[in-house]
Amino acid sequence: MVEIVAQAVINGLLIGGIYALVSIGVTLIFGVVKIVNFAQGEFVMIGMYITFFLATQFGLDPLVSLFVCMPVLFVLGVLIQHFLIRRVLGLNDLPQIFLTFALSLLIVNIALMLLTANYRTVHTAYSDEAFHLGGLYVPVAKLIAFGVAMLLSALLWAFLRTTDLGKAMRAASQNREVAQLMGINPNRVFAVALGIALALAGAAGSLLMPFYPAYPMVGQVFVLMAFVAVVLGTLGNVVGALIASLLMGIAESLGIQFVGADSGLIVVFLLLLVTLAVRPSGLAGGHTR
Amino acid sequence: MPISRRGLLVGAVIAVMAVLPLAVKSSFALDIFIRILLFAFIGTAWNLLGGYAKQFSLGHSAFFGLGAYTSTLMQIDLGISPWIGMLAGGVAAMLASLPIGWICFRLRGPYFTIATIATAQVLMLIFLKLRDFAWGAEGTTIPNLGNAPLMMQFDGKVPYYYVVLVLLLVALAITAWIGHSRIGYYLLALGEDQDAAEAVGIDVPRVKRDIYMISAFLTAMAGTFYVQYIYFIDPNTAFNFSISIEAALVSIVGGVGTLLGPLIGTVLLETTSALLQSWLGNLAGVQVTVYSLILMAVILWRPTGIMGYLAELRARRR
Repeated sequence: MVEIVAQAVINGLLIGGIYALVSIGVTLIFGVVKIVNFAQGEFVMIGMYITFFLATQFGLDPLVSLFVCMPVLFVLGVLIQHFLIRRVLGLNDLPQIFLTFALSLLIVNIALMLLTANYRTVHTAYSDEAFHLGGLYVPVAKLIAFGVAMLLSALLWAFLRTTDLGKAMRAASQNREVAQLMGINPNRVFAVALGIALALAGAAGSLLMPFYPAYPMVGQVFVLMAFVAVVLGTLGNVVGALIASLLMGIAESLGIQFVGADSGLIVVFLLLLVTLAVRPSGLAGGHTR
Repeated sequence: MPISRRGLLVGAVIAVMAVLPLAVKSSFALDIFIRILLFAFIGTAWNLLGGYAKQFSLGHSAFFGLGAYTSTLMQIDLGISPWIGMLAGGVAAMLASLPIGWICFRLRGPYFTIATIATAQVLMLIFLKLRDFAWGAEGTTIPNLGNAPLMMQFDGKVPYYYVVLVLLLVALAITAWIGHSRIGYYLLALGEDQDAAEAVGIDVPRVKRDIYMISAFLTAMAGTFYVQYIYFIDPNTAFNFSISIEAALVSIVGGVGTLLGPLIGTVLLETTSALLQSWLGNLAGVQVTVYSLILMAVILWRPTGIMGYLAELRARRR
């Protein structure tokens, strides 16, 4: 029994690292640009397909594709900020919610047209490898994904703490007007925030590919997880989103283990709804009615 | 005399819709008309909450599904007519909207939207699990009784057309009435600025709760109608996310917070979708790709939708 629980916790923690990459992106955009990006999961999907094609066409290892995916998605993020999101800033909820929602629908359905709904997988040398720790089983591909996810999260944290641009982003998220008065160019800061958030989603895509199939709707799972994590971890809070993501990975995994294979999402959503009912401001206080 | 002219226009539109099945005999075309009226009805229900109160739900499939399951369970397990089941489903959805609203209204803006998505997904997942009580993932066909108007089953599509037309007219009448009543002004105020509305003494949580209940009731009626029309129910049909999306989409494209916006939006989107289908066949993804491009164009260039554009044209002509 203890072993089953421990195994479920390990599985959940490892996938939680991937959720963290997506959630941190969502919370970064929300914190800095004050927009909820409904399309964040679709950038994971784009990252997965890029990784898939690099692997099948050029034999590139998914871990190497990371260095292609992240810059490509960074540029895509800057473009999306410049051509789409910039135009709805300062408007009311409707355009702010439904612009990225429309973008999400658009990307999914273009992918459906061009790539069909078929599952695509990449098999690497380490896809089936695993460490055995006592009776516990630690898949190598997931461990690598988790390690890289934590490394990227730490790098982002250091970037936000120590660099001028990072400090400018934190300042813009705390008070946009004052930041602007201090000479921070909001458009540049917003573009970098979008770029980083999408690059993280792209990284999640590459890291997933050795053990997770790509298909056009794959982003939905991750974006819903990310939304829950971002609410639980207090909106706009990077460390909160990280911790909440890991906890949710574990909650989902325990749900799958003890309630049933398709119950992971129920457990996570119930967690969200219960949290909203008892602590509407999230685990650390924040933006509510 | 703007009021009587408007009344005339509404009368003419209703008259055209009432005689349409006499002129159009093709079952394919009737099916499209029924879809248009159905989604106009759902969109009109959504518009009460999303358009007037500016609470953008993407979880209305929860109520659609509850309506569909309530009437189907009553019909199959107890032999009760779906006409009664439709009202029971409405009541069930209305009751469900109380706890759902209690939780979701704690969040504002986009996070309200996300919470509504989550509740609808939870309901779908629960119905997927309910194998003994509600057929689980396989769903069930609804017994075909032939021409049984008392059981909401008809020969041919024309009677279905009139049923959903009446539903739509009822929803439009409710919307028109609310638009001119005290609650309508409360909704407008809280849609503009919740804090300001609260500051002038409007009981914002209560107004939101009431309009959510009405919106949920109507959406559930659509669910009952739909499963009676297609004779089949499963969680993926009844709680499909695309229902929530289309409810919002038709209202936004037509113009949120306007009486006829959802109807006009549905006519545009469903006609486009039907044309695309006749040109390209059932190519996966085409329909929603076009929908999302239209939605994006509306948001970027005409956030007030078609109705807002028409109002602008009229103002320019004066």
